[in-house]
Amino acid sequence: MIESTGFGLLSLTIFAPFIGALILMFMPEKDVKNIRYAALAFSVVSFVLSLLVLSRFQAGTYHFQMIELVKWIPSLGLNYKVGVDGVSIWLIVLTTFLMVISTIFSFYVDKRVKQYMIFMLMLETAMLGVFLSLDMILFYTFFEASLVPMYFLINIWGGARRQYAAAKFFIYTFAGSIFMLIGIITMHQIYARATGGAGTFDFIAIQSQVASGQFWAKAMQAQPLIFWSFAIAFMVKCPMFPFHTWLPDAHVEAPTAGSVILAGVLLKMGTYGFLRFCLPLFPDAVKTQLIWIMGLAVFGIIYGAIVAAVQPDVKKLVAYSSVAHMGFVIIGIFSLTHEGMMGGAMQQLNHGISTGALFLMIGLLYERRHTRMFKDFGGLKAQMPIYSMLFLIVMLSSVGLPSLNGFVGEFLAMFGLYQASAAGMFGLNIGFPVVAGFGVVLAAVYLLVMFQKVFYGKNENPDNQRLKDIKPWEIAICGVLVLFIFWGGFFPNTFLKPMERSLGAVRQMVLNDEGSRPSYADITMDVNADGALVKVAPREFNGKLQDFQEVSIISPANFYFPAKKPASVQAKLENPHPSSLRSQTLSLGEREIGAAR
Amino acid sequence: MGNASLIWGVLFLPLIGFLVQACFGGSIVKSGNDSAGKRVSGILAVLFIAVPFILGLIITKDLASLPADARFHVVTLFDWIKIQSLTIPFEVRIDTLSMTMVLIVTGLGSLIHLFATGYMAEEKEYTRFFTYLNLFIAFMLMLVLGNNLALLFIGWEGVGLCSYLLIGFWYKDLNNARAANKAFIVNRIGDWGLTLGMFAIATLLMTQLQVVPDGRFLSYDVIFSPASLAVFQANPGATTAIALLLFVGAMGKSAQFPLYIWLPDAMAGPTPVSALIHAATMVTSGIVLLNRFASIFAMSPIASAVVACIGGFTALFAALIAFGQRDIKKVLAYSTVSQLGYMFLACGSGAYWAGMFHVTTHAFFKALLFLGSGAVIHAMNHEQDMRWYGNLRKYIPITTVCMIVAWLAISGVPGLSGFFSKEAILGAAFGNELAVVNGFHYGALAGWVALAVAGLTAAYMTRMTMLTFFGGKEQWRDIPVEAEHHHEHAHEHAHEDHGPDTHEFFYTDAELAERAAPEEHHHHLDADYTPHEVSPSMWVPLAILAVLSAVGGFVLHNGHLLQHWLFPNGVPLLDAKLVPGEPEHGIMAGHNLMYASIAMAVGGMLLGYIVYRKGMPQREKNTETMLPAQVAAGNQFGYDNMMVDAAVDGGGSIADKFFFKFFDAKLIDGIVNGVGVFARGAGGLLKNIQTGYVRSYALMMLIGVVVIVAYVTSVLVHVGGVK
Repeated sequence: MIESTGFGLLSLTIFAPFIGALILMFMPEKDVKNIRYAALAFSVVSFVLSLLVLSRFQAGTYHFQMIELVKWIPSLGLNYKVGVDGVSIWLIVLTTFLMVISTIFSFYVDKRVKQYMIFMLMLETAMLGVFLSLDMILFYTFFEASLVPMYFLINIWGGARRQYAAAKFFIYTFAGSIFMLIGIITMHQIYARATGGAGTFDFIAIQSQVASGQFWAKAMQAQPLIFWSFAIAFMVKCPMFPFHTWLPDAHVEAPTAGSVILAGVLLKMGTYGFLRFCLPLFPDAVKTQLIWIMGLAVFGIIYGAIVAAVQPDVKKLVAYSSVAHMGFVIIGIFSLTHEGMMGGAMQQLNHGISTGALFLMIGLLYERRHTRMFKDFGGLKAQMPIYSMLFLIVMLSSVGLPSLNGFVGEFLAMFGLYQASAAGMFGLNIGFPVVAGFGVVLAAVYLLVMFQKVFYGKNENPDNQRLKDIKPWEIAICGVLVLFIFWGGFFPNTFLKPMERSLGAVRQMVLNDEGSRPSYADITMDVNADGALVKVAPREFNGKLQDFQEVSIISPANFYFPAKKPASVQAKLENPHPSSLRSQTLSLGEREIGAAR
Repeated sequence: MGNASLIWGVLFLPLIGFLVQACFGGSIVKSGNDSAGKRVSGILAVLFIAVPFILGLIITKDLASLPADARFHVVTLFDWIKIQSLTIPFEVRIDTLSMTMVLIVTGLGSLIHLFATGYMAEEKEYTRFFTYLNLFIAFMLMLVLGNNLALLFIGWEGVGLCSYLLIGFWYKDLNNARAANKAFIVNRIGDWGLTLGMFAIATLLMTQLQVVPDGRFLSYDVIFSPASLAVFQANPGATTAIALLLFVGAMGKSAQFPLYIWLPDAMAGPTPVSALIHAATMVTSGIVLLNRFASIFAMSPIASAVVACIGGFTALFAALIAFGQRDIKKVLAYSTVSQLGYMFLACGSGAYWAGMFHVTTHAFFKALLFLGSGAVIHAMNHEQDMRWYGNLRKYIPITTVCMIVAWLAISGVPGLSGFFSKEAILGAAFGNELAVVNGFHYGALAGWVALAVAGLTAAYMTRMTMLTFFGGKEQWRDIPVEAEHHHEHAHEHAHEDHGPDTHEFFYTDAELAERAAPEEHHHHLDADYTPHEVSPSMWVPLAILAVLSAVGGFVLHNGHLLQHWLFPNGVPLLDAKLVPGEPEHGIMAGHNLMYASIAMAVGGMLLGYIVYRKGMPQREKNTETMLPAQVAAGNQFGYDNMMVDAAVDGGGSIADKFFFKFFDAKLIDGIVNGVGVFARGAGGLLKNIQTGYVRSYALMMLIGVVVIVAYVTSVLVHVGGVK
């Protein structure tokens, strides 16, 4: 089917850091300076390669692109298969971008620099592998492989309780993902039974069977169970209440770069997993089970905010805020509305940028003062004006101030939740958005109080009175992040557009009936500019996928959930000029709406 | 609309001004000697607001030349958020409402900027102040000009941000920083309602509108199209809910009970900020919102009754509190809250235009009162306590004259601006029958309250004027001579050993000595002090505002100018029953209402004069000897304390002790660690395996395997049985 084989650009992007790690291994331990620059060089190479991927990416299709396939263990149906689509494209760029930033910051690391940089580069490979794998065992391998370098980063370069935190991080996530492994193996078996042939771990093949309805035909009762086996793994990773307690410990103990990557990228593996696997593969289970996930997400939004508000440690506060913020991603994705899913996906990126930036800036302070406790700070605004200004912008982005990036994602996600709830879909009710909305209020509480405690008041600590403002190169790396914060706020379409078709397809994979679901394997279908699923003229995998020719419509977009409509409404709608409105002042008919613009 | 594109100048010039101040302000100030540099920077700041005012006038003239029902125009720049199901363009709406607000914001804005160039002249962080102030104007224009709810929301939260930054401008005092936080957070509660209202509108239209207009469900021209209005009409329940949610947003921003508590604290900001943001423009956003959504509010008698009653109650509540205040700015703050209540009463009664009328006149006289109080505070060496004022007319005659005009205007003396707008509101309250639920006229009820408030307003404003400018006695002469404050700065800190500073994070001792700031000048009012009149850059704006306060009401009321200008506003609706005038029947019919309100004004002023003509009575100077009722009023009847205690102490300790320390750390983490401890304990059995961690992993694995086997079995059973 897709025998365009061999390694290509995507593999190069994934393994460039790994090659770097291998090279670093042969560099002399003492040559700290060159090790640092070499590591930076390889993360920059990977970033450039990811930009190349982005430039070749076709936004006008939902299908996987640049697929690379290499046979691995044919007898088990195991392949090395990678590809990129709208769900993963920005996560790739986010990963490589944040890696460059954190590698630069890691120049502050003095202890065992060589091992540190090797682990960082290996971590990057693992993360990229997670986002690009199209084989479920390959995905699982990368998913688990990302734990190891992070475990060592926390365990060796962390703070006082680093061993406890590292072990907790490892056990927690490992325990969660074991369930996913069982789920994957079971899927293999079910596939074999459904098709009567050999089993496969190929995501595209499995998904196409799900889309046609054959896959679950004989295993319907198992669907919720397998759904949860995936969901548990992703919920731990996100992390969602009540599986979140590894996160504050891991963040507090992790070195700064580790925290940036942890918050910026590792948490996204959870939400990515939901989008990539849970929604397309378990369409029926999603609809019945999502009420539980939504409940936990909404509770987590409030809970994370409340607990964040009382932390004595700046970093721990931001860690708990991640629990709340990731809740918004989840409510967006599981609202199964177009707005919500777009918002959730956008919020992943925003959270990566703004929370990554917060951890980075806290790290800048920690390098100087070796403390993160509120009681040690206060009144830094006059002492470090540039630092405080940058921190303010980043903080406001996290608060979700409109015109900064945090707003767009949060707004769309909340909107999606509201729509699904107002229509009473999936057992949701209006209480969900009403409560989740209070999370936005609480976000202002803990973040503003945080800012006040660090920057406002008098600077009375003599140690702080000696502080210089941050250095130019530090301003530069924070400034780049701030630039993205503004860009995302003013021009969110840059980020939304490439994701749109793929997310629209995922939505239809869940909501449409069997047979009219989009399939990743069938390139005679695609999502058009109106969001409808259409039959298209023949074309090739890995070829020019966008600008297709529509043949017929398989299913329209159906963006809006039907409302519970009283019978009287229909009658009134047919008469657009009820007598109670003064029609002589109704200058604005529907036709003029367009003209008035 | 030939000049419609000028609107981008109106919108973006203040933003450019902000960028200029932010990027170059510091170097401009440094390049001249201090005061000349500041003057240049200040004039630049004024220009970036004054030019948009002129552009606004040109556009308004264009708009006025169009026929009344064609006075709206939408200009689009680009698509801000565009996804397949929803489009939110960056579009502005030029119509009578938005241009009225543009003129108020830029006109008053430039006057207040001008005032501030004088008022803040001694401020070290002069450019930071104007940076924020220009940014505020930019966001405020976004708020009034945006053609969709999302753009309104950008402005809405943006002005909140600037308010936060400016309240906390003198951040070294933590009380100011806390006041800033309070303002932002309480406003966010309002924003919660506004956001939900926005979602509710769009969701309703998305599901019920037959024609899907390009996904622009949040744009005003779609929301107010006949088809959409029919949808609202057909869903009265949803419409009421939408109106109430929008009103929650308005309550936050426009400081209505129960969300008013941030506004009095917001007086911590510099006085020009209080005049511009917390009196004339930002706090009236709620009324602008209600005017914008007049067609939806007018469909819901319940929502209208709620608006009228909350407005009336707030007007009364805040007016009573004003009697207990001794800080001149606090009096004005509560007066603002009270007057905002008036405006909501107008909207609740269906006289949306009267609300805007009062927004306009109130902007004139309240900005004047605040700036005047700023001039007084400036003249009195930054003393805000009216206990130490008195007889100031002798020293600051220009300010006094201007303030007297404002005092008479707000008290409702016939002929001055406040009189006309107040009459319009009271007339609507008694005469309109919108806020009638189950046969009870809530509008009239609120009207009676408002009539009483008219008297109270006259009384407390007279109190303020008497205490400040009259009274015959110069109270500050009685300030006891205090021991000179010695600011002991413990500069000789024992230097800790920081270790070698390899990264150059810290200043060296030499640099530190160089940086040591000169002692900041502390203002003190003492018995020998002589107040001085303010500079022209400060009194010229006062004089202009005084003229506006005097004649503005008459001009706008003459021939129902403003009323006809504002409606129909390109928006259909307004039934005949909503066209206000004097009540036709009832006890307040005809001119009776006017006589009653004049009587209230005169009575209030007389009362204030009698009690305070000789300055502050001795018993009022000490909280112990004050009348209990006045003490209670001064404490906001305990409301603010209750809310703050509940939120900060109550909520905080629940969050800390229960959620964090018990629930999170003990319960949830306890379970997790319990599993670990159990594993380690049991792992003790496997002594041959090396370290504790490895042992516990091993056991965890073992337990895991058991769980997993059980799980796999159940999956397989579900799949179809184990073969």
